[in-house]
Amino acid sequence: MLQVNSVRQFYENFVPSCTIYDIDCPDNSFRKFTDDGKYLISFSRNHQELIVYRPTWLSFSYKGEDCDSDALSQRAKRFDSFFIHLYTVSLATSNEFICKDVFLYLEGLEFGIFATSTAQTHEVPATEGAVNGVQCVEKIVFHLVRLEDGFVLDEKVFCNDFVNLTHSMGVFLHEDLLCIMSLRYQAIHIVQIRDSGNLVDVRIVGTFCREDDELFIGSHIQVTEGQIFLSGIKQRLLSYIFRKHWSEETDQTLRIQHLKKKFYFHFQDYIDLIMWKVQFLDRHHLLIKFGSVDGVVSRTTDQHPSFFAVYNMETTEIISFFQNSTEELYYLYEQFCDHFTASSRSSLHANFISSHSNNIYAFDQLCVVKNRASSFLQFVKKMVTSLPYTCQSQSPSPYFDLSLFRYDEKIESYYPLITILLWMKNYCLWIAALQQI
Amino acid sequence: MAFLMGDWPSYDPQNFSQIRPSDPSAQPSKLTPATYHPTHNRTVPPPNQVITTEARNILLRQIYQKAEDKLRPKRAATDLLTPEHGCKQPRGAFSNDP
Repeated sequence: MLQVNSVRQFYENFVPSCTIYDIDCPDNSFRKFTDDGKYLISFSRNHQELIVYRPTWLSFSYKGEDCDSDALSQRAKRFDSFFIHLYTVSLATSNEFICKDVFLYLEGLEFGIFATSTAQTHEVPATEGAVNGVQCVEKIVFHLVRLEDGFVLDEKVFCNDFVNLTHSMGVFLHEDLLCIMSLRYQAIHIVQIRDSGNLVDVRIVGTFCREDDELFIGSHIQVTEGQIFLSGIKQRLLSYIFRKHWSEETDQTLRIQHLKKKFYFHFQDYIDLIMWKVQFLDRHHLLIKFGSVDGVVSRTTDQHPSFFAVYNMETTEIISFFQNSTEELYYLYEQFCDHFTASSRSSLHANFISSHSNNIYAFDQLCVVKNRASSFLQFVKKMVTSLPYTCQSQSPSPYFDLSLFRYDEKIESYYPLITILLWMKNYCLWIAALQQI
Repeated sequence: MAFLMGDWPSYDPQNFSQIRPSDPSAQPSKLTPATYHPTHNRTVPPPNQVITTEARNILLRQIYQKAEDKLRPKRAATDLLTPEHGCKQPRGAFSNDP
Protein backbone atom coordinates (compact mmCIF):
# COMPACT_ATOMS: atom_id res chain seq x y z
CA MET A 1 0.00 0.00 0.00
CA LEU A 2 1.67 3.15 -1.13
CA GLN A 3 1.89 5.93 1.43
CA VAL A 4 1.65 9.00 -0.71
CA ASN A 5 1.20 11.47 2.07
CA SER A 6 4.30 10.92 4.20
CA VAL A 7 5.33 14.54 3.74
CA ARG A 8 2.52 15.48 6.10
CA GLN A 9 4.22 13.79 9.06
CA PHE A 10 5.07 17.28 10.20
CA TYR A 11 1.52 17.46 11.55
CA GLU A 12 2.35 14.84 14.16
CA ASN A 13 4.19 17.65 15.89
CA PHE A 14 1.44 20.19 15.49
CA VAL A 15 -1.72 19.07 17.23
CA PRO A 16 -4.59 20.63 19.15
CA SER A 17 -3.77 20.95 22.80
CA CYS A 18 -6.06 23.59 24.22
CA THR A 19 -9.72 24.49 24.13
CA ILE A 20 -11.30 27.84 24.83
CA TYR A 21 -15.00 27.88 25.59
CA ASP A 22 -17.68 30.49 25.61
CA ILE A 23 -16.49 32.59 22.73
CA ASP A 24 -18.92 35.09 21.39
CA CYS A 25 -19.35 34.23 17.78
CA PRO A 26 -21.92 35.35 15.26
CA ASP A 27 -25.13 33.43 15.31
CA ASN A 28 -24.58 31.82 11.93
CA SER A 29 -24.90 28.30 10.72
CA PHE A 30 -21.26 27.44 10.00
CA ARG A 31 -20.80 25.05 7.15
CA LYS A 32 -17.26 24.39 6.07
CA PHE A 33 -13.75 25.62 5.47
CA THR A 34 -12.66 25.41 1.85
CA ASP A 35 -9.91 22.82 1.43
CA ASP A 36 -7.34 25.47 0.57
CA GLY A 37 -8.10 27.26 3.83
CA LYS A 38 -9.00 30.55 2.17
CA TYR A 39 -12.67 30.82 3.13
CA LEU A 40 -15.03 29.87 5.93
CA ILE A 41 -18.53 29.35 4.57
CA SER A 42 -21.56 29.99 6.73
CA PHE A 43 -25.21 30.80 6.30
CA SER A 44 -27.52 33.11 8.19
CA ARG A 45 -29.86 31.54 10.70
CA ASN A 46 -32.82 32.13 8.46
CA HIS A 47 -30.98 30.28 5.64
CA GLN A 48 -31.30 33.10 3.20
CA GLU A 49 -27.88 34.68 3.23
CA LEU A 50 -24.40 33.44 2.51
CA ILE A 51 -21.79 34.83 4.91
CA VAL A 52 -18.15 34.28 4.08
CA TYR A 53 -15.12 34.89 6.27
CA ARG A 54 -11.43 34.90 5.56
CA PRO A 55 -9.59 32.82 8.19
CA THR A 56 -6.51 34.68 9.36
CA TRP A 57 -5.09 31.52 10.86
CA LEU A 58 -2.37 31.49 13.47
CA SER A 59 -1.38 34.84 14.85
CA PHE A 60 -0.14 34.07 18.34
CA SER A 61 3.02 32.43 19.53
CA TYR A 62 4.19 31.48 22.98
CA LYS A 63 7.63 30.51 24.11
CA GLY A 64 7.65 28.07 26.94
CA GLU A 65 6.83 24.55 27.99
CA ASP A 66 3.13 24.57 28.76
CA CYS A 67 0.76 26.86 27.06
CA ASP A 68 -2.60 26.99 28.75
CA SER A 69 -5.55 29.17 28.10
CA ASP A 70 -4.57 31.71 30.75
CA ALA A 71 -1.41 32.51 28.90
CA LEU A 72 -3.29 33.28 25.72
CA SER A 73 -4.02 36.93 25.35
CA GLN A 74 -7.55 38.24 25.49
CA ARG A 75 -7.45 38.62 21.75
CA ALA A 76 -7.42 34.83 21.43
CA LYS A 77 -10.88 34.73 22.92
CA ARG A 78 -12.44 36.78 20.18
CA PHE A 79 -13.98 35.41 17.02
CA ASP A 80 -12.82 38.31 14.91
CA SER A 81 -9.20 37.71 15.89
CA PHE A 82 -9.29 34.73 13.59
CA PHE A 83 -11.86 35.56 10.97
CA ILE A 84 -12.38 38.59 8.79
CA HIS A 85 -15.89 39.03 7.55
CA LEU A 86 -15.67 39.38 3.77
CA TYR A 87 -19.30 39.81 2.73
CA THR A 88 -22.87 38.78 3.23
CA VAL A 89 -24.83 37.94 0.10
CA SER A 90 -28.49 37.20 -0.15
CA LEU A 91 -29.06 34.05 -2.20
CA ALA A 92 -32.63 33.17 -1.31
CA THR A 93 -35.72 35.32 -1.71
CA SER A 94 -38.67 35.36 0.68
CA ASN A 95 -40.10 31.88 0.17
CA GLU A 96 -36.80 30.17 -0.60
CA PHE A 97 -34.09 28.93 1.70
CA ILE A 98 -30.48 27.91 1.21
CA CYS A 99 -29.89 24.16 1.35
CA LYS A 100 -27.03 24.14 3.75
CA ASP A 101 -25.91 20.66 2.75
CA VAL A 102 -24.96 21.88 -0.71
CA PHE A 103 -21.56 23.49 -1.08
CA LEU A 104 -19.12 22.51 -3.77
CA TYR A 105 -15.82 24.30 -4.24
CA LEU A 106 -13.82 24.82 -7.41
CA GLU A 107 -10.38 25.29 -6.00
CA GLY A 108 -8.49 26.85 -8.88
CA LEU A 109 -11.11 29.44 -9.73
CA GLU A 110 -12.31 29.98 -6.13
CA PHE A 111 -15.93 29.51 -7.15
CA GLY A 112 -18.56 28.04 -4.89
CA ILE A 113 -21.75 26.24 -5.83
CA PHE A 114 -24.75 26.66 -3.58
CA ALA A 115 -28.40 25.70 -3.86
CA THR A 116 -31.62 27.38 -2.81
CA SER A 117 -35.00 25.77 -2.80
CA THR A 118 -38.62 26.53 -2.11
CA ALA A 119 -40.51 24.26 0.23
CA GLN A 120 -41.55 20.85 -0.98
CA THR A 121 -44.92 20.70 -2.70
CA HIS A 122 -47.21 18.17 -1.07
CA GLU A 123 -49.88 17.96 -3.70
CA VAL A 124 -47.96 16.69 -6.65
CA PRO A 125 -49.87 16.72 -9.89
CA ALA A 126 -49.06 13.91 -12.30
CA THR A 127 -47.16 15.57 -15.11
CA GLU A 128 -46.19 14.09 -18.43
CA GLY A 129 -42.63 12.94 -18.30
CA ALA A 130 -42.43 13.04 -14.52
CA VAL A 131 -42.13 9.95 -12.39
CA ASN A 132 -45.11 9.33 -10.14
CA GLY A 133 -44.17 8.94 -6.52
CA VAL A 134 -41.21 11.32 -6.53
CA GLN A 135 -41.51 14.54 -4.57
CA CYS A 136 -41.76 17.88 -6.25
CA VAL A 137 -40.24 21.24 -5.42
CA GLU A 138 -41.50 24.38 -7.09
CA LYS A 139 -38.11 25.93 -7.66
CA ILE A 140 -34.53 24.79 -7.06
CA VAL A 141 -31.75 27.15 -8.05
CA PHE A 142 -28.03 26.39 -8.21
CA HIS A 143 -25.90 29.49 -7.73
CA LEU A 144 -22.32 29.89 -8.90
CA VAL A 145 -20.63 32.41 -6.61
CA ARG A 146 -17.18 33.97 -6.91
CA LEU A 147 -16.01 33.56 -3.34
CA GLU A 148 -13.46 36.33 -3.51
CA ASP A 149 -16.13 38.99 -3.47
CA GLY A 150 -19.48 37.20 -3.29
CA PHE A 151 -20.55 38.07 -6.80
CA VAL A 152 -23.19 35.65 -8.10
CA LEU A 153 -21.84 34.67 -11.51
CA ASP A 154 -24.60 32.45 -12.84
CA GLU A 155 -27.60 30.36 -11.89
CA LYS A 156 -29.31 27.21 -13.06
CA VAL A 157 -32.99 26.85 -12.28
CA PHE A 158 -35.09 23.70 -11.99
CA CYS A 159 -38.85 24.22 -11.82
CA ASN A 160 -41.33 21.64 -10.52
CA ASP A 161 -38.57 19.13 -10.24
CA PHE A 162 -36.77 17.28 -7.51
CA VAL A 163 -33.04 17.06 -6.90
CA ASN A 164 -31.91 15.27 -3.75
CA LEU A 165 -30.00 18.00 -1.98
CA THR A 166 -29.57 16.16 1.32
CA HIS A 167 -25.82 15.75 1.84
CA SER A 168 -25.38 17.07 -1.72
CA MET A 169 -26.29 13.64 -3.03
CA GLY A 170 -27.93 14.91 -6.18
CA VAL A 171 -24.91 16.80 -7.50
CA PHE A 172 -21.36 15.80 -8.35
CA LEU A 173 -18.46 18.01 -9.36
CA HIS A 174 -15.51 16.69 -11.37
CA GLU A 175 -12.98 19.31 -12.45
CA ASP A 176 -15.15 21.82 -14.30
CA LEU A 177 -18.11 19.52 -14.93
CA LEU A 178 -21.14 19.40 -12.73
CA CYS A 179 -23.80 16.72 -12.98
CA ILE A 180 -27.21 17.24 -11.44
CA MET A 181 -29.62 14.33 -11.01
CA SER A 182 -33.16 15.40 -11.71
CA LEU A 183 -35.11 12.61 -10.05
CA ARG A 184 -38.56 13.74 -11.09
CA TYR A 185 -37.80 13.91 -14.80
CA GLN A 186 -35.16 11.18 -14.71
CA ALA A 187 -32.55 13.32 -16.39
CA ILE A 188 -28.86 13.82 -15.68
CA HIS A 189 -27.91 17.40 -16.47
CA ILE A 190 -24.24 17.83 -17.35
CA VAL A 191 -23.16 21.43 -16.93
CA GLN A 192 -19.75 22.93 -17.56
CA ILE A 193 -18.40 25.75 -15.39
CA ARG A 194 -16.37 28.05 -17.57
CA ASP A 195 -13.51 30.17 -16.28
CA SER A 196 -15.61 33.22 -17.09
CA GLY A 197 -18.16 32.06 -14.54
CA ASN A 198 -20.82 30.87 -16.92
CA LEU A 199 -22.76 27.66 -16.44
CA VAL A 200 -23.06 26.02 -19.84
CA ASP A 201 -25.37 23.08 -20.52
CA VAL A 202 -23.36 20.30 -22.11
CA ARG A 203 -25.90 17.51 -22.40
CA ILE A 204 -28.85 15.87 -20.72
CA VAL A 205 -28.82 12.09 -20.34
CA GLY A 206 -32.21 10.56 -19.80
CA THR A 207 -34.99 10.69 -22.32
CA PHE A 208 -32.38 11.06 -25.03
CA CYS A 209 -28.74 10.04 -25.09
CA ARG A 210 -27.23 11.72 -28.12
CA GLU A 211 -27.73 15.40 -28.86
CA ASP A 212 -29.59 14.69 -32.08
CA ASP A 213 -31.84 11.88 -30.82
CA GLU A 214 -34.77 14.17 -30.21
CA LEU A 215 -34.50 15.71 -33.66
CA PHE A 216 -34.16 12.31 -35.32
CA ILE A 217 -37.15 10.80 -33.57
CA GLY A 218 -39.27 13.85 -34.18
CA SER A 219 -38.55 13.93 -37.89
CA HIS A 220 -38.76 10.21 -38.63
CA ILE A 221 -41.32 8.66 -36.40
CA GLN A 222 -44.97 9.51 -35.97
CA VAL A 223 -45.72 9.00 -32.32
CA THR A 224 -49.44 8.52 -32.00
CA GLU A 225 -51.56 8.75 -28.88
CA GLY A 226 -50.74 6.24 -26.17
CA GLN A 227 -47.47 5.10 -27.61
CA ILE A 228 -44.59 6.05 -25.44
CA PHE A 229 -41.00 5.24 -26.08
CA LEU A 230 -38.91 4.13 -23.19
CA SER A 231 -36.30 6.72 -22.38
CA GLY A 232 -32.97 6.60 -24.16
CA ILE A 233 -31.05 5.54 -21.08
CA LYS A 234 -33.55 2.79 -20.40
CA GLN A 235 -33.26 1.57 -24.00
CA ARG A 236 -29.50 1.40 -23.60
CA LEU A 237 -29.83 -0.47 -20.35
CA LEU A 238 -32.29 -3.04 -21.65
CA SER A 239 -30.18 -3.60 -24.77
CA TYR A 240 -27.11 -4.17 -22.65
CA ILE A 241 -28.86 -6.64 -20.35
CA PHE A 242 -30.33 -8.50 -23.33
CA ARG A 243 -27.01 -8.77 -25.14
CA LYS A 244 -25.24 -9.86 -22.00
CA HIS A 245 -27.65 -12.71 -21.36
CA TRP A 246 -27.72 -13.57 -25.06
CA SER A 247 -23.98 -14.00 -25.11
CA GLU A 248 -23.94 -16.10 -21.96
CA GLU A 249 -25.54 -19.08 -23.71
CA THR A 250 -24.16 -20.37 -27.00
CA ASP A 251 -26.67 -23.17 -27.53
CA GLN A 252 -29.54 -21.80 -29.64
CA THR A 253 -32.30 -23.81 -27.97
CA LEU A 254 -31.13 -23.15 -24.45
CA ARG A 255 -30.62 -19.51 -25.21
CA ILE A 256 -34.31 -18.73 -25.38
CA GLN A 257 -34.92 -20.39 -22.03
CA HIS A 258 -31.99 -18.51 -20.58
CA LEU A 259 -33.32 -15.20 -21.86
CA LYS A 260 -36.81 -15.94 -20.59
CA LYS A 261 -35.49 -16.61 -17.13
CA LYS A 262 -32.94 -13.87 -16.93
CA PHE A 263 -34.37 -11.11 -19.02
CA TYR A 264 -38.05 -11.42 -19.91
CA PHE A 265 -39.12 -12.59 -16.49
CA HIS A 266 -37.63 -9.41 -15.00
CA PHE A 267 -38.53 -7.16 -17.91
CA GLN A 268 -41.10 -5.11 -16.04
CA ASP A 269 -38.78 -4.74 -13.05
CA TYR A 270 -36.11 -3.35 -15.32
CA ILE A 271 -38.58 -0.98 -16.93
CA ASP A 272 -39.66 0.24 -13.50
CA LEU A 273 -36.13 1.08 -12.42
CA ILE A 274 -35.35 4.74 -12.03
CA MET A 275 -32.04 6.56 -11.70
CA TRP A 276 -31.32 7.41 -8.07
CA LYS A 277 -27.86 8.88 -7.96
CA VAL A 278 -25.00 9.58 -10.31
CA GLN A 279 -21.32 10.43 -10.24
CA PHE A 280 -18.54 11.01 -12.73
CA LEU A 281 -15.87 8.35 -13.01
CA ASP A 282 -14.01 10.58 -15.43
CA ARG A 283 -15.00 13.27 -17.91
CA HIS A 284 -16.74 10.77 -20.17
CA HIS A 285 -18.06 8.08 -17.86
CA LEU A 286 -20.87 8.11 -15.35
CA LEU A 287 -21.66 5.64 -12.59
CA ILE A 288 -25.44 5.59 -12.27
CA LYS A 289 -27.32 3.95 -9.44
CA PHE A 290 -30.75 2.55 -10.32
CA GLY A 291 -33.48 1.47 -7.98
CA SER A 292 -37.20 1.38 -7.49
CA VAL A 293 -39.34 4.48 -7.03
CA ASP A 294 -40.10 3.48 -3.43
CA GLY A 295 -36.46 3.42 -2.53
CA VAL A 296 -35.64 6.94 -3.74
CA VAL A 297 -35.61 8.68 -0.41
CA SER A 298 -35.75 5.66 1.82
CA ARG A 299 -32.86 5.24 4.20
CA THR A 300 -33.03 1.49 4.39
CA THR A 301 -31.61 0.01 1.25
CA ASP A 302 -31.95 -3.63 2.21
CA GLN A 303 -35.51 -4.07 1.03
CA HIS A 304 -34.82 -2.38 -2.23
CA PRO A 305 -32.34 -4.01 -4.57
CA SER A 306 -30.29 -1.49 -6.45
CA PHE A 307 -28.20 -1.64 -9.57
CA PHE A 308 -25.18 0.18 -10.88
CA ALA A 309 -24.39 0.99 -14.47
CA VAL A 310 -21.22 2.43 -15.97
CA TYR A 311 -22.24 4.65 -18.86
CA ASN A 312 -20.01 6.23 -21.51
CA MET A 313 -21.49 9.61 -22.42
CA GLU A 314 -19.55 9.87 -25.68
CA THR A 315 -20.46 6.51 -27.17
CA THR A 316 -23.77 6.40 -25.21
CA GLU A 317 -23.05 2.80 -24.31
CA ILE A 318 -23.53 1.00 -21.06
CA ILE A 319 -20.20 -0.67 -20.28
CA SER A 320 -21.16 -2.62 -17.17
CA PHE A 321 -24.19 -3.36 -15.08
CA PHE A 322 -24.07 -4.77 -11.57
CA GLN A 323 -26.58 -5.55 -8.90
CA ASN A 324 -25.69 -4.15 -5.49
CA SER A 325 -25.02 -7.67 -4.21
CA THR A 326 -22.38 -8.34 -6.87
CA GLU A 327 -18.98 -9.19 -5.48
CA GLU A 328 -17.30 -7.88 -8.61
CA LEU A 329 -18.42 -4.35 -7.86
CA TYR A 330 -17.33 -4.66 -4.26
CA TYR A 331 -13.83 -5.81 -5.28
CA LEU A 332 -13.50 -2.86 -7.64
CA TYR A 333 -14.46 -0.61 -4.74
CA GLU A 334 -12.03 -2.35 -2.40
CA GLN A 335 -9.07 -2.10 -4.76
CA PHE A 336 -9.73 1.21 -6.48
CA CYS A 337 -11.66 3.22 -3.90
CA ASP A 338 -9.67 6.37 -4.69
CA HIS A 339 -10.81 6.35 -8.29
CA PHE A 340 -14.42 6.46 -7.21
CA THR A 341 -13.80 9.83 -5.66
CA ALA A 342 -12.94 11.07 -9.14
CA SER A 343 -10.78 13.83 -7.77
CA SER A 344 -9.07 16.08 -10.22
CA ARG A 345 -5.39 15.35 -10.82
CA SER A 346 -4.66 19.01 -10.35
CA SER A 347 -6.08 19.14 -6.83
CA LEU A 348 -3.35 18.51 -4.28
CA HIS A 349 -5.69 18.18 -1.33
CA ALA A 350 -8.18 15.74 -2.73
CA ASN A 351 -5.46 13.22 -3.54
CA PHE A 352 -4.46 12.88 0.09
CA ILE A 353 -7.66 11.49 1.54
CA SER A 354 -7.04 8.24 3.42
CA SER A 355 -8.96 5.29 2.13
CA HIS A 356 -8.67 1.55 2.35
CA SER A 357 -7.04 1.57 -1.08
CA ASN A 358 -4.13 3.81 -0.12
CA ASN A 359 -3.70 3.25 3.59
CA ILE A 360 -2.82 0.03 5.39
CA TYR A 361 -4.62 1.00 8.60
CA ALA A 362 -7.83 1.80 6.76
CA PHE A 363 -7.53 -1.49 4.90
CA ASP A 364 -7.00 -3.27 8.20
CA GLN A 365 -10.17 -1.71 9.61
CA LEU A 366 -12.03 -2.82 6.51
CA CYS A 367 -10.76 -6.39 6.94
CA VAL A 368 -11.90 -6.41 10.55
CA VAL A 369 -15.40 -5.41 9.49
CA LYS A 370 -15.34 -7.94 6.65
CA ASN A 371 -14.30 -10.81 8.90
CA ARG A 372 -16.80 -9.86 11.53
CA ALA A 373 -19.71 -9.77 9.11
CA SER A 374 -22.07 -12.68 9.48
CA SER A 375 -22.84 -12.75 5.79
CA PHE A 376 -20.50 -11.68 3.02
CA LEU A 377 -23.50 -10.78 0.89
CA GLN A 378 -24.78 -8.34 3.51
CA PHE A 379 -21.29 -6.95 3.89
CA VAL A 380 -21.02 -6.37 0.14
CA LYS A 381 -24.40 -4.65 0.02
CA LYS A 382 -23.47 -2.43 2.95
CA MET A 383 -20.13 -1.40 1.47
CA VAL A 384 -21.63 -0.64 -1.87
CA THR A 385 -24.15 1.80 -0.38
CA SER A 386 -21.28 4.30 -0.38
CA LEU A 387 -21.54 4.35 -4.15
CA PRO A 388 -21.97 6.52 -6.07
CA TYR A 389 -19.58 8.60 -4.04
CA THR A 390 -20.79 11.94 -2.66
CA CYS A 391 -18.18 14.40 -3.81
CA GLN A 392 -16.23 16.64 -1.45
CA SER A 393 -17.73 14.76 1.49
CA GLN A 394 -14.41 13.83 3.05
CA SER A 395 -11.89 16.18 4.55
CA PRO A 396 -8.31 16.08 3.23
CA SER A 397 -7.05 17.40 6.56
CA PRO A 398 -3.82 15.82 7.84
CA TYR A 399 -5.62 15.24 11.12
CA PHE A 400 -7.85 12.75 9.36
CA ASP A 401 -4.89 11.05 7.74
CA LEU A 402 -4.91 7.50 9.01
CA SER A 403 -1.16 7.09 8.59
CA LEU A 404 -0.68 9.84 11.18
CA PHE A 405 -3.62 9.66 13.56
CA ARG A 406 -6.27 7.29 14.70
CA TYR A 407 -9.74 8.63 15.44
CA ASP A 408 -13.37 7.76 15.62
CA GLU A 409 -14.64 7.91 12.05
CA LYS A 410 -17.91 9.44 13.08
CA ILE A 411 -16.07 12.61 14.05
CA GLU A 412 -15.24 13.30 10.44
CA SER A 413 -18.85 13.44 9.45
CA TYR A 414 -20.08 15.44 12.40
CA TYR A 415 -17.33 18.04 12.38
CA PRO A 416 -16.39 18.93 8.86
CA LEU A 417 -14.37 21.95 9.88
CA ILE A 418 -10.80 20.96 9.92
CA THR A 419 -8.92 23.28 12.20
CA ILE A 420 -11.38 25.41 14.08
CA LEU A 421 -14.44 23.51 15.20
CA LEU A 422 -17.42 25.57 16.09
CA TRP A 423 -20.34 24.37 18.11
CA MET A 424 -23.83 25.64 17.86
CA LYS A 425 -24.19 27.69 20.99
CA ASN A 426 -21.38 30.21 21.01
CA TYR A 427 -18.71 27.80 22.09
CA CYS A 428 -15.52 27.93 20.21
CA LEU A 429 -13.07 25.08 20.16
CA TRP A 430 -9.75 26.62 19.41
CA ILE A 431 -6.58 24.87 18.63
CA ALA A 432 -3.96 26.42 20.80
CA ALA A 433 -1.06 28.35 19.51
CA LEU A 434 2.32 26.89 18.98
CA GLN A 435 4.17 25.15 21.68
CA GLN A 436 7.87 25.56 21.41
CA ILE A 437 9.03 22.16 20.32
CA MET B 1 35.25 12.06 8.19
CA ALA B 2 36.10 15.65 7.66
CA PHE B 3 36.95 15.14 4.04
CA LEU B 4 33.44 13.84 3.23
CA MET B 5 31.06 15.10 5.91
CA GLY B 6 32.69 18.42 6.54
CA ASP B 7 31.44 20.23 9.61
CA TRP B 8 27.96 18.74 9.59
CA PRO B 9 26.54 18.51 13.12
CA SER B 10 26.28 15.14 14.70
CA TYR B 11 24.92 13.77 17.96
CA ASP B 12 28.15 12.11 18.65
CA PRO B 13 31.40 13.29 17.10
CA GLN B 14 32.79 9.77 17.50
CA ASN B 15 30.31 8.42 14.96
CA PHE B 16 31.97 7.37 11.76
CA SER B 17 35.40 7.95 13.32
CA GLN B 18 36.50 4.42 12.47
CA ILE B 19 35.80 4.69 8.78
CA ARG B 20 38.78 4.99 6.56
CA PRO B 21 38.38 5.61 2.88
CA SER B 22 39.41 2.53 0.93
CA ASP B 23 41.68 4.48 -1.36
CA PRO B 24 43.08 7.60 0.32
CA SER B 25 44.15 9.10 -2.93
CA ALA B 26 40.78 8.84 -4.66
CA GLN B 27 38.88 12.08 -4.25
CA PRO B 28 35.12 11.61 -4.70
CA SER B 29 34.86 14.47 -7.09
CA LYS B 30 37.30 12.84 -9.45
CA LEU B 31 35.51 9.53 -9.56
CA THR B 32 33.43 9.14 -12.64
CA PRO B 33 30.67 6.55 -12.41
CA ALA B 34 30.86 3.67 -14.87
CA THR B 35 28.57 4.19 -17.84
CA TYR B 36 26.74 1.33 -19.45
CA HIS B 37 27.21 1.02 -23.18
CA PRO B 38 24.93 -1.49 -24.81
CA THR B 39 26.67 -4.16 -26.84
CA HIS B 40 23.64 -4.88 -29.04
CA ASN B 41 20.70 -3.01 -30.49
CA ARG B 42 17.95 -5.50 -29.70
CA THR B 43 16.39 -3.27 -27.08
CA VAL B 44 16.49 0.04 -28.92
CA PRO B 45 13.07 1.73 -28.72
CA PRO B 46 11.23 2.32 -31.97
CA PRO B 47 12.17 5.72 -33.45
CA ASN B 48 8.63 7.11 -33.27
CA GLN B 49 7.87 5.91 -29.77
CA VAL B 50 6.10 8.39 -27.54
CA ILE B 51 5.52 7.59 -23.90
CA THR B 52 2.46 9.21 -22.34
CA THR B 53 0.21 8.64 -19.37
CA GLU B 54 -2.74 6.38 -20.08
CA ALA B 55 -5.71 8.68 -20.39
CA ARG B 56 -8.20 6.26 -18.91
CA ASN B 57 -7.78 5.61 -15.21
CA ILE B 58 -7.16 2.16 -13.83
CA LEU B 59 -10.68 1.70 -12.52
CA LEU B 60 -12.21 2.24 -15.94
CA ARG B 61 -9.57 0.07 -17.58
CA GLN B 62 -10.53 -2.75 -15.21
CA ILE B 63 -14.23 -2.25 -15.92
CA TYR B 64 -13.64 -2.33 -19.68
CA GLN B 65 -11.34 -5.33 -19.36
CA LYS B 66 -13.93 -7.31 -17.41
CA ALA B 67 -16.63 -6.33 -19.87
CA GLU B 68 -14.49 -7.57 -22.77
CA ASP B 69 -13.64 -10.78 -20.95
CA LYS B 70 -17.32 -11.52 -20.50
CA LEU B 71 -17.99 -11.09 -24.17
CA ARG B 72 -14.84 -12.68 -25.62
CA PRO B 73 -15.52 -16.43 -25.35
CA LYS B 74 -18.96 -15.91 -26.83
CA ARG B 75 -17.86 -13.71 -29.66
CA ALA B 76 -19.22 -16.10 -32.27
CA ALA B 77 -22.68 -15.78 -30.83
CA THR B 78 -22.77 -12.02 -30.61
CA ASP B 79 -21.66 -11.67 -34.19
CA LEU B 80 -24.94 -13.20 -35.29
CA LEU B 81 -26.98 -10.88 -33.15
CA THR B 82 -26.77 -7.45 -34.65
CA PRO B 83 -26.13 -6.19 -38.12
CA GLU B 84 -23.40 -3.70 -38.84
CA HIS B 85 -23.33 -0.83 -36.46
CA GLY B 86 -24.09 2.10 -38.61
CA CYS B 87 -26.32 5.08 -38.77
CA LYS B 88 -29.74 4.76 -37.29
CA GLN B 89 -32.08 3.06 -39.73
CA PRO B 90 -35.47 4.69 -39.91
CA ARG B 91 -38.22 2.13 -39.78
CA GLY B 92 -41.69 2.23 -41.22
CA ALA B 93 -44.85 2.72 -39.19
CA PHE B 94 -44.35 1.79 -35.58
CA SER B 95 -45.85 -1.60 -34.72
CA ASN B 96 -48.95 -1.63 -32.57
CA ASP B 97 -47.89 -4.66 -30.54
CA PRO B 98 -47.36 -3.81 -26.87
